[in-house]
Amino acid sequence: MASYALRRLGQLILVLLGVTVLLFILLKSMPGDPARVMAGLGASPETIEAIRLKMGLDRPLLVQYWRMVSGLFNGQLEAMTYHKGVWKLILERLPATVELGFFSLLFSLAISIPAGLLSAIFRNSLLDYAVTTTALTGISIPVFWFALMLMMVFGVILRVLPVSGRGETLLGWSFLTTDGLRHLIIPVFALSSVQMAMNARLTRASMLEVLRQEYVTTARAKGLRESLVLIKHAFRNALAPVVTNIGLQTGALFAGAILTETTTAWPGIGRLEVESIFRQDEAVVFGLALFVAAVFMAVQLLVDLAYALIDPRITYD
Amino acid sequence: MSIQSLVLSLLLPGLGHLANGYLVRGILFLLLDALQAGTLVLAVTRGRLAWLAGPSDYWFSTLVLLLLFAALGAGAALDLRRILHRAQWPERGEGYWEIVGRRFSRDPKGIVGLFIIVSVAYVALLAPFFASGNAIHMELKEALSPPSTEHPLGMDNFGRDVLDRILFGARVALGVGGLSTVLNMLFGGLLGIVSGYFRGPVDAVIMRLLEVVNAIPFFVLSLLVIGLWGSSIPNLIIVLGIFGLGPARIIRSEVLSVREHDYVMAARAIGAPTRRILARHILPNSIASLLVVTTMTIGVNIIIVAGLSFLGFGVKAPTPDWGGMLQQAQEFMRTAWWMAVYPGVCIILTVFGFNILGDSLRDVLDPRLK
Repeated sequence: MASYALRRLGQLILVLLGVTVLLFILLKSMPGDPARVMAGLGASPETIEAIRLKMGLDRPLLVQYWRMVSGLFNGQLEAMTYHKGVWKLILERLPATVELGFFSLLFSLAISIPAGLLSAIFRNSLLDYAVTTTALTGISIPVFWFALMLMMVFGVILRVLPVSGRGETLLGWSFLTTDGLRHLIIPVFALSSVQMAMNARLTRASMLEVLRQEYVTTARAKGLRESLVLIKHAFRNALAPVVTNIGLQTGALFAGAILTETTTAWPGIGRLEVESIFRQDEAVVFGLALFVAAVFMAVQLLVDLAYALIDPRITYD
Repeated sequence: MSIQSLVLSLLLPGLGHLANGYLVRGILFLLLDALQAGTLVLAVTRGRLAWLAGPSDYWFSTLVLLLLFAALGAGAALDLRRILHRAQWPERGEGYWEIVGRRFSRDPKGIVGLFIIVSVAYVALLAPFFASGNAIHMELKEALSPPSTEHPLGMDNFGRDVLDRILFGARVALGVGGLSTVLNMLFGGLLGIVSGYFRGPVDAVIMRLLEVVNAIPFFVLSLLVIGLWGSSIPNLIIVLGIFGLGPARIIRSEVLSVREHDYVMAARAIGAPTRRILARHILPNSIASLLVVTTMTIGVNIIIVAGLSFLGFGVKAPTPDWGGMLQQAQEFMRTAWWMAVYPGVCIILTVFGFNILGDSLRDVLDPRLK
């Protein structure tokens, strides 16, 4: 297990190295001159030249690449348009997104797993049709539109929930204050919708697969109560694929967070991503994308490792 | 098949079916005739019919309408020929695609999905005939006026008809979603097939490449590239087409399993060249899963395009598209609900169509389930 984890960690670092190269190539393939964008309209050639020198854009590409990567690790990399270190900027905005993502994931699992299980157990019942249809519609709904609708209904028409921002925070977290908690409801609900639909479908499919297995038939044949068959034999085995998929969903969750945060003015790293691209701030775009890739891959690795703990049949060596 | 039925079919699609006693199919074709005729009448009364002159929108749609008439006639004739042939040789067995077709026609999910997609495509292609003419033209006096009989879905903040913009927006959604998916399948399919068939070092290199690209969530990557390269319709298609490498992985695993079958080994044993094995054995046997992946990918790409436009990185104004309409609607959330509700409903409906069709195809195409 330990050697497997180490090997995967090594792979992860190699892939991230590849990601830095990919990101750097993309940044340098940008048409137009970042120094000119930075200087703003009507800047004199001298100003532009000064910025170019300050950003090191006159150096060879390899040097620029090295400065960017090493700058990220020793904290020297500056976000030009924010006048701050890139790390500082990301860490400032991170809690908002972590909070949003965590509660969305939790909420979506709390609803989708029971829904998926019940739908599989009562296959072809009215409940099953309701769940599958809702889930199929759910995966077709764009999160930003759903967020917009929630804001219109609960914020504008009913006036029961605030429509934008994080509200009061305590130690940087919204969920610790009542006002912040009220601000969390709409973004969390919107962001969790797609995850909820996907997980419900997945849980249902996986439970149906398990219910077809012979050990379930055996359990029933030996006269076990149906509830025991479902809980002890089917349920645990059905959950494994759902858990694995949570790792893969962090990517989609972040994509959703970008849209949700922009719609509801939630000041997290998703909005930072959009802002920095608008401002063409190379350092932030680079640092943030690398950070997201690193988190995404780390979560996948952790889930793979956790898989062995859930399912004793799986060993890594 | 008698010549008369063929002539009848071409004359008025559906008539041939009726003459031979195929009532349901006959009526279905006649309904399609009526729809086409209705569209034609609408186009004529609005004066939008044009032959290679005037606004390109107009003559493009005129051309499409004519092609659809021809396709309907040909479709009816071919269909009639097929069923008459089957009636004549009832003991002949069914081929794979016949089985698939029969199963598909009995699956309400797939029919509903196909119906939605075909309707959206029809409306998109013939948009100028259905639109009132205010998709881009602004009537500032009527800005933000709510839905009325004249403008059923209301007007936006520039006094443009929301329904018109939705109709034309369908072109962007289907066009960009569809074309980028074609690129996805060509590019990803090529990588997947090469990687899965040749394995070894080629596979290793391609897979490492995929890992790097897949390490960044697809939406984030496309946002980044579009943001840096500038947003335009061609850029959207290219970026989504090239970086959407999800299909490559699925196709690779499909090819990996297909290549182990005995018929592939047999083909190799008799010395068939690789090109032939790929084209005649691997591809046809992977086509089922390719179809499912394609359908699902179109839906995903439509949502991504809408998302990018919503963030301001999509289609440039004044070209109408659904995501951009929603971005605009945000500001008028308090006063003009119609600007926000309808474009979203259209995105959901279209994507739902593709998802439900994909779901159905997955069941129908699986040869193991009879």
